[in-house]
Amino acid sequence: MSLSYSGFAWVQRELLTCASWLAPAAQRKEWKQEWLSELWHVAQARMPAGSGSWKAHEQITRFCLGAFHDALCLRTMSWRDKKPLVSWSGSPLQCLLLLCAALAVAYGISLLLPGVRAESRPSNYQVNPNLVLIQGARTPDDSKATIPIQQFRSWKERKQEYFDGFAFYRIAAEATSTSTSERTTLNVAHASSNLFALLGLAVRYDEPAVEAGSSTPAVILCDRIWKTEFGENPHIVGSLIEVGRRKARIAGIVPFGSWRLPGQVDLWLLEPDSEIPSGGLGYALAHLSRRGQSEVWTRRVHITEYEGDYVTGDLWGVSFDERTRGPGGIFLFTVLLALLCLPAVASVSMSESSFSSHRPTWAKRIRRWAFLCAKICLLLPIVYFSSLDLAYWHTPLYSAASQYMQLISSFTICLFGMRWVMLDQRQRCPVCLKRVTHPASVGLASRTFLAWNGTEMICTDGHTMLHVPALPTSWFSTQRWLYLDTSWRFLFVAPGVEGGA
Amino acid sequence: MASEAKLSHTSAIILQAIHAGFIYGFSIMEMTGLPSGTVYPAMRRLERDRLIRSHWERQSIADAEQRPPRKYYKLTSEGKSTLSASRRRYPLLERLIPFSEAKSV
Repeated sequence: MSLSYSGFAWVQRELLTCASWLAPAAQRKEWKQEWLSELWHVAQARMPAGSGSWKAHEQITRFCLGAFHDALCLRTMSWRDKKPLVSWSGSPLQCLLLLCAALAVAYGISLLLPGVRAESRPSNYQVNPNLVLIQGARTPDDSKATIPIQQFRSWKERKQEYFDGFAFYRIAAEATSTSTSERTTLNVAHASSNLFALLGLAVRYDEPAVEAGSSTPAVILCDRIWKTEFGENPHIVGSLIEVGRRKARIAGIVPFGSWRLPGQVDLWLLEPDSEIPSGGLGYALAHLSRRGQSEVWTRRVHITEYEGDYVTGDLWGVSFDERTRGPGGIFLFTVLLALLCLPAVASVSMSESSFSSHRPTWAKRIRRWAFLCAKICLLLPIVYFSSLDLAYWHTPLYSAASQYMQLISSFTICLFGMRWVMLDQRQRCPVCLKRVTHPASVGLASRTFLAWNGTEMICTDGHTMLHVPALPTSWFSTQRWLYLDTSWRFLFVAPGVEGGA
Repeated sequence: MASEAKLSHTSAIILQAIHAGFIYGFSIMEMTGLPSGTVYPAMRRLERDRLIRSHWERQSIADAEQRPPRKYYKLTSEGKSTLSASRRRYPLLERLIPFSEAKSV
């Protein structure tokens, strides 16, 4: 046997091996066996003595090249034999997977938004209980400063029955020297030294208390200034910076999203109340004493200020609950609201009437309800994350606007999401849970009271037909299912399949 | 019948060749003069449409003749009726591949 013969034989066999990879895996082995067998016979026919001319080799090689056509043909046939895409379309699995995808997208976006990340850590922004923000009674908006430092000092000096702790802060724009050695104008809160202790807010890289007698006040940086001006340097704590014309020691960093009190603050200069500069208005916080707690049970309480027997002022004490309750409360509230509103936008009745006496089995009914529950279970986190995404898309920090945005978006998405869930469920075949399709308009609107008028839809697997009246009448008020018996099956048998669905 | 109406001339020739006794791919190629890239895919489609069916030769027979076993094809009853219809459509089909020719290959 010549070298050229064995070389050609090797090439021809390898061609068949390559072609075999085009054939479907299930048929590959048998397909290759057939072609190798045929190759042997072709070779015998073309080269009976074991060696042949170039022409014979060319003919055999051409024969092998035909295997590629054959393998491709098998592959195409296997693709066509697979269940068509239409059977996947409208299936319950497709619905659940789409909801999962929507949830993944909403959750993924929420991970990218710093505002949502901050919201998801309630321990960062929770404050001590029984705190109230004291406001002037003439200002309904609790975000405006109304208390002068002199008034605050007078409260502290007097014995209080309802409060056992006070703190004050006043925000002013002041030039501050930072690590970049340039003086930057920042929003500085001149605050009581016990402000963070009263609030119970955790401060990162908290420096141990400065030794008694030190005249250098402590300064707490907000997360944004720490990152932009100090390059997230954790060793910055303990170093001195100049705030206004005073030296101050950096004592810690407030985590992102922790500060939820009124006012945009870049740094807090903690100093004794007697040293807080006069001028301008600030915010006063108070902790309710045991007696105060027993007297206050509403979110907003009226406070009357006395001096001796004389009333000297009217004030409001506003609870912190609204500012620190986190997104979960708003979400639950909007879900409840949406459920109450749902009957106005969609029929919530899941009871079904039927033209025939056939009823689905208990297993199928339970499956249908489980599918509905699964949709709702997937919808709720989608509502939660997508409403937070919308609320914090433009603003990285907590604000009244972001809360309002969350409220509106959560309610809207939940309401229309639930509406979609109900409408989708009503158009799912009770037997296979696939959406009924191929709507056909039947009858004439002008003959509603004489004959049936509405839309008919059919399950693509041939289980049911849905009749939806165009105009509910006393004799046909809600949609009805018609369970198709076996006499309909031949219409739904796939071509070439015996005894199909 | 849909398959009768759609049967191409090539498929009809292959069907006639199998009916005439050319029962494996290479013999059909030799008889019809069609290339392997046409004959084998056409046989796959005929088999898919249940006009022909295939079976493997017994290993003992192949071993006795010292060759690999072959895959043989045979007309089904549906294939026979389709071939009858195709003969009416292509009257020269039977003359192209008469039944007796199989014995010579």
